[in-house]
Amino acid sequence: MVDFSLWDIVRNLLLALRWTVALSLIAFVGGGLVGLALLVARLSKLPGAAPAVALYVQIFQGTPLLMQLFLTYFGLSMLGIDTSALFAASVCLTLYASAYFTEIWRGCVLSIPRGQWEAASSLAMNFREQLRYIILPQATRMAIAPTVGFLIQIIKGTALASVIGFVEITKAGQMIANATYEPFLVYGCVGLMYFALCFPLSVWSRRLERKLNPLR
Amino acid sequence: MTTTPKTIPLVDIRGLRKRYGTNEVLKGIDLQIERREVVCIIGKSGSGKSTLLRCINGLEEFQEGALTVHGQPLKIHDPHAMRELRQNVGMIFQSFNLFPHLTVGQNVMLAPMLVKALPKPEARQRAEKLLARVGLAEKFDYRPDQLSGGQQQRVAIARALAMDPEVLLCDEVTSALDPELVGEVLQVVEDLAGQGMTLVLVTHEMNFARKVSDRVVFMHQGKVHEMGPPEALFSRPQTPELQQFLSAL
Repeated sequence: MVDFSLWDIVRNLLLALRWTVALSLIAFVGGGLVGLALLVARLSKLPGAAPAVALYVQIFQGTPLLMQLFLTYFGLSMLGIDTSALFAASVCLTLYASAYFTEIWRGCVLSIPRGQWEAASSLAMNFREQLRYIILPQATRMAIAPTVGFLIQIIKGTALASVIGFVEITKAGQMIANATYEPFLVYGCVGLMYFALCFPLSVWSRRLERKLNPLR
Repeated sequence: MTTTPKTIPLVDIRGLRKRYGTNEVLKGIDLQIERREVVCIIGKSGSGKSTLLRCINGLEEFQEGALTVHGQPLKIHDPHAMRELRQNVGMIFQSFNLFPHLTVGQNVMLAPMLVKALPKPEARQRAEKLLARVGLAEKFDYRPDQLSGGQQQRVAIARALAMDPEVLLCDEVTSALDPELVGEVLQVVEDLAGQGMTLVLVTHEMNFARKVSDRVVFMHQGKVHEMGPPEALFSRPQTPELQQFLSAL
């Protein structure tokens, strides 16, 4: 029987960790851009935008991520698009993140007092200028905590991509645990690596919040 | 703009009606504001004073009637028309509504730079001059939350004046202030009136209205109930509603 050292395990996990980080970044950036676009569409009162975005959000918030991954993966191949697990997971997590981001950010924008919009309109600023110079700068300060909080959810959510065959750290952990017959050690390392990703983010988020709100 | 001997009113309101759902708050307002006039609107809460004021710069939409500012009819769904109109009509709010993430100077400079495409140095000069005019030249780099209420309101006045409006709407601008801070704001408004600014004020400060206005409009249940020069209105109220209102003060 082959003997595996701790370093063998950790090294392979670290190689897989790259993919966890990559998928998380894709989902965060992609989801952020799509979420922002949906938010602006909804705020600008484009005809039909509000109910459409609300429905979109309900779909992604009302169904399990696991099921969304399955539907995306098998749905894409049914449409004839030959995809890798990475592509399907990226698409699904991007849309999933965008739904949550658009709601989080909509809440932050709605919490800006109406007087700010009124003062900006009275100064003859148009919608784009009001959003860009008055509303979004204030909403961003409020949005940092929930946004980074959701980023942490995304990182943990990438673990589910393992079920469609994407080899990120959870899947790698499964494979290594099967090979080494050391499940507790292996999954323990996996857990520590997730924590090593998530904990610094929450510390950074608190620091960023404090920097932008020096009075609080 | 016009060379005819009869000047057209700066703000011309005819037959204005506004409803919130089934509740009609403005029941047919006819009011003309001439250039350089100072008009104070008084009345009980719920009489429609603030709503009327907010109709003039398009913050509220009305269902019937016509509203013309500087000869241009108000078209609330036309963004270009509204942008033009709001450069001519400034507004000061009861709760100041300064932009908290910008300094005092930036608050005053922002709109002229964006809307009138004023280059930054000129915008800064204009802001410094206006802040000096309201007595806050040294607060240029302060944040709004470092100022008292009276100072914040004076910054709000400077900010509105930065757009060089034809008429300034003041919606209960001292109602949220501590009594000892009211005077400094009223002094600024009085100076503006003295300099020939056209002002429409909704106010509860009767002494101020009496002293500064050319005309006082008493509103009751959504209509202009009585109107006239301040001396006549305050000393010889004609209608029982106005008599009751004044006696309750």
